Amino acid sequence: MRAFLLKIEPLIWLMFGQGILIGTMLLTGWILVVGLLIPLGMVDASALSYDRAYALATASLFGVIPVGKLVLAALLVLPLWKGAHHVRSLHVDFGGAERDGIVGMLLYGVALVGSIVGILAVVGL
Amino acid sequence: MSRPAHPHAMAPHTPGRTRTAPPQMPSTWWSAPRIRNYLLFDATGIVYYLISFLAIGMVQALARGPESWEAVMTRLRHPAYIAFHVLCLVSVVFVAVRFFSLFPKAQPKAIGPIKPPPGPVIHAMLYVVWLGITAIMTAILAGVIF
Repeated sequence: MRAFLLKIEPLIWLMFGQGILIGTMLLTGWILVVGLLIPLGMVDASALSYDRAYALATASLFGVIPVGKLVLAALLVLPLWKGAHHVRSLHVDFGGAERDGIVGMLLYGVALVGSIVGILAVVGL
Repeated sequence: MSRPAHPHAMAPHTPGRTRTAPPQMPSTWWSAPRIRNYLLFDATGIVYYLISFLAIGMVQALARGPESWEAVMTRLRHPAYIAFHVLCLVSVVFVAVRFFSLFPKAQPKAIGPIKPPPGPVIHAMLYVVWLGITAIMTAILAGVIF
């Protein structure tokens, strides 16, 4: 399994790198508003009423580029790979090197399934 | 925690002529500042994993209709979710600050004839883009613009 992980390492690092860079850039505003400002009542909940949230998620640029769905897809998918790779690294750091192959496969597998589910959810809007 | 991960990892393949004490990792290795920050950086992966799945659930709720969406938004008011999002915010800021400081060091010296800008310029550009995207995302989601 470790041999397979080494073979797909460029792909893993691509997703991991984008997960840190793009994921972090998109998540900060999302967490701030969706997770804190609206639940704490500092921003009116109507800002993300169903109608407005749906309109934002399905917004397109010039009627062609589905910018809302693209941003959502990046926000859902990329952090999963950052998470998978860093949790794997943490597991190795705490003495799990012998089980790295199976744990790595499991973590990336969950990230892959999560990515597919996330993309399907976005496409289904 | 105090169990050394690989006490012989740095030992020579064949024993030398001089007797040496077996290499041992101190039991507090994980609390040394540099390693602690490194481990915390890795540990943010757990938070990224969880926030992704939470966000996927929210988009699925949005696809299901108004009742599901309102239920999710109501659930986010629970103190446990708010505490989780505070942890998420601390995590993403920590990741950004640490990653942006490492990013210029990881750039190649040149790509063909093109040389990357100096490290401080790359560093500043990352902050401008991050804060810019965050400001725009915040303004859009909070209903300030659009």
